[in-house]
Amino acid sequence: MSIENINGCIGCGTCVATCPTDVIRLNKQTKKAEIKYPADCQICHLCRMYCPVDAITISPEKSIPVIVSWG
Amino acid sequence: MKRDKKTLSRRQFIGAAAGVAGALMVGPTVLNGWSENMKKLNEADVAYEDLEADVLVIGGGMAGLFAAVKANDAGAKVMIVSKGRLGASGQTPFAKGIFIYDPQKEKVSLDEFVNSVSASAIGTNNAVYTRQMAEHSLARVAELREWGFFDSPLYNNAFSKPIGQRNIPLIERVTITHLIKEKGKIAGAAGFSVDYQKLYFFKAKSVILCTGAGGFKPNGFPICDLTHDGTIMAYDIGAMVTGKEWNDGHAGKAENAAACFDGWGTMFERKPGLTGVEIHHDLGVDMNYVAYKTGNPVNTRGPGMATANVVGGPYRPAEFQRNGPPEREPGPGLAKRAPSGGRGDRRPPRGGDIPKDGGPPPMMGTSVGGSSAGMAIHKSEGLVPINDQCESNIPGLYAAGDALGSYMAGAIYTQVGSSLAGSAVQGAIAGEAAAGYSSRVEKVEISESQRKIIQKEILAPLKRDAGYSPAWVTQTLQGIMIPNFIIYIKKENLMRAALTYVEELRDHHMPMLRASDMHELRLAHETRNMIISAEMKLKASLMRTESRCSHYRLDYPDMDNENWQAWINIYKGEDGNMQLKKQPFGTWPDGSEL
Repeated sequence: MSIENINGCIGCGTCVATCPTDVIRLNKQTKKAEIKYPADCQICHLCRMYCPVDAITISPEKSIPVIVSWG
Repeated sequence: MKRDKKTLSRRQFIGAAAGVAGALMVGPTVLNGWSENMKKLNEADVAYEDLEADVLVIGGGMAGLFAAVKANDAGAKVMIVSKGRLGASGQTPFAKGIFIYDPQKEKVSLDEFVNSVSASAIGTNNAVYTRQMAEHSLARVAELREWGFFDSPLYNNAFSKPIGQRNIPLIERVTITHLIKEKGKIAGAAGFSVDYQKLYFFKAKSVILCTGAGGFKPNGFPICDLTHDGTIMAYDIGAMVTGKEWNDGHAGKAENAAACFDGWGTMFERKPGLTGVEIHHDLGVDMNYVAYKTGNPVNTRGPGMATANVVGGPYRPAEFQRNGPPEREPGPGLAKRAPSGGRGDRRPPRGGDIPKDGGPPPMMGTSVGGSSAGMAIHKSEGLVPINDQCESNIPGLYAAGDALGSYMAGAIYTQVGSSLAGSAVQGAIAGEAAAGYSSRVEKVEISESQRKIIQKEILAPLKRDAGYSPAWVTQTLQGIMIPNFIIYIKKENLMRAALTYVEELRDHHMPMLRASDMHELRLAHETRNMIISAEMKLKASLMRTESRCSHYRLDYPDMDNENWQAWINIYKGEDGNMQLKKQPFGTWPDGSEL
């Protein structure tokens, strides 16, 4: 996991728009941002830097997918 | 028709989508409307929108910004489309140093600057573009200052200012997959929304590719959204492409190798600064060579020291040798460095304190290679320019910044901070040139037959019930291409082996890429572009039977000035196969001198 959590989200959508690799989406029900495609996070922190309420926490770890024969 | 309750009806959907598109077009700051991705593709629910402009700018980084502004100011009806967000995708948001050449202040003349770059580049630079970057840099920086670029570490606001003032329509989160050519010239482009099941067709007299560079979604560099999209879609319609044998040699750190933010200290959070004239010969594959010979940990105490026990390796011109310990390397956009004169050399960012003058921090700990794998030196790869106006061999198609193989800095990193400046300068030149072109030509209609083919190609991965996931194909491609002994320290038998694997991906897996939603559809198209780019990289690297700048062949370790004072251009032959041919250094594609 790279974006660890989004806590205190006000649902403005800035992080969704800002993420270069489209990791975050707004949840239709909760109207808050959620980590939708964590495997594509490039750990660049742009979402955190643009977030107006500092809601995003990011860790430097990224799990590498296991190697398989087809997928 | 029975509908899932979570699915909007077609009518509702089109209304919602049009609303968002409309909202986006009045200004870049409207952020409502994103939602969960829709999963099931129902052909009848796919929406279409046709848009029109004289000049379509693809990409919202530094090149795209200036291309749009200058084309607009030259009288053209302009539109920008970006798969990300203005000033917040591609490499632009991470570039913190911008070069200026101020003739009143610099001690070296413009001629001396160009000559010094050419000496470091060992003939690989296009001196016309080298000079153009320096000549125009001051004016572009002045405009950026006026827009507030230097006031914040985040560029979206500053970029939005000139675009908003001019009411230039901006469409974000739309991935362009196709350039459209009719009757031998540009007719437009097509792509899809990452948020909705919606396809876009753009009719345009001229297109400027400001799509940046690309890589194999490597770990540790902020280029995982860059997959050479512009290069590959231009190649598909007959454009010539160059520079695929060169490499950017950035390494990363072994601990949390994927964490590019951490790798650069806190550089990404800094406001941008200015850089002046400094000429280097850096960021090639010297460290890759040492790593190949000695294994990890690589002694990174500087080239002189690091290579003391290692024989051979990439050639470095005598005047650009370094002595003493290395200090730092430039960031993705070539951040400001320590003054030249003995200190500093290519080495990866490693954390630690940020130097006050702006460069990335000194490194500590063990390094790993391939941080920017799949990317060449800035502006050494991309579309072949046929003149100094950023024009390609396809009438109406222009490129600027990292999407243009201008060889502004050559095939080695020669100029500090020039990447961002070059993108600004070339964007402006291309914008004015494209506006001029579009005022002279009539719009060409996009034929119905082309539309149908393109629609089918865009949506194909969504329609497959079985196939291969883009993530798995990408991971497999990374395993083939990124090892040091394939892409960096090259030899014929291993490159031929890798090419065989890549051709398998191209012929069998690429046609079976599947996508379960619009996010994955983008990944599928990006994966295709990476596969074609890998084929280009291997074929160009095999063809270049010498070593020079950032291209190193273990089986041809010397420079071959008799046969290889030439760039390699790649194009699609009439039979659809990839063709490669030489273009002598110092010439335009038609053979005339620069």
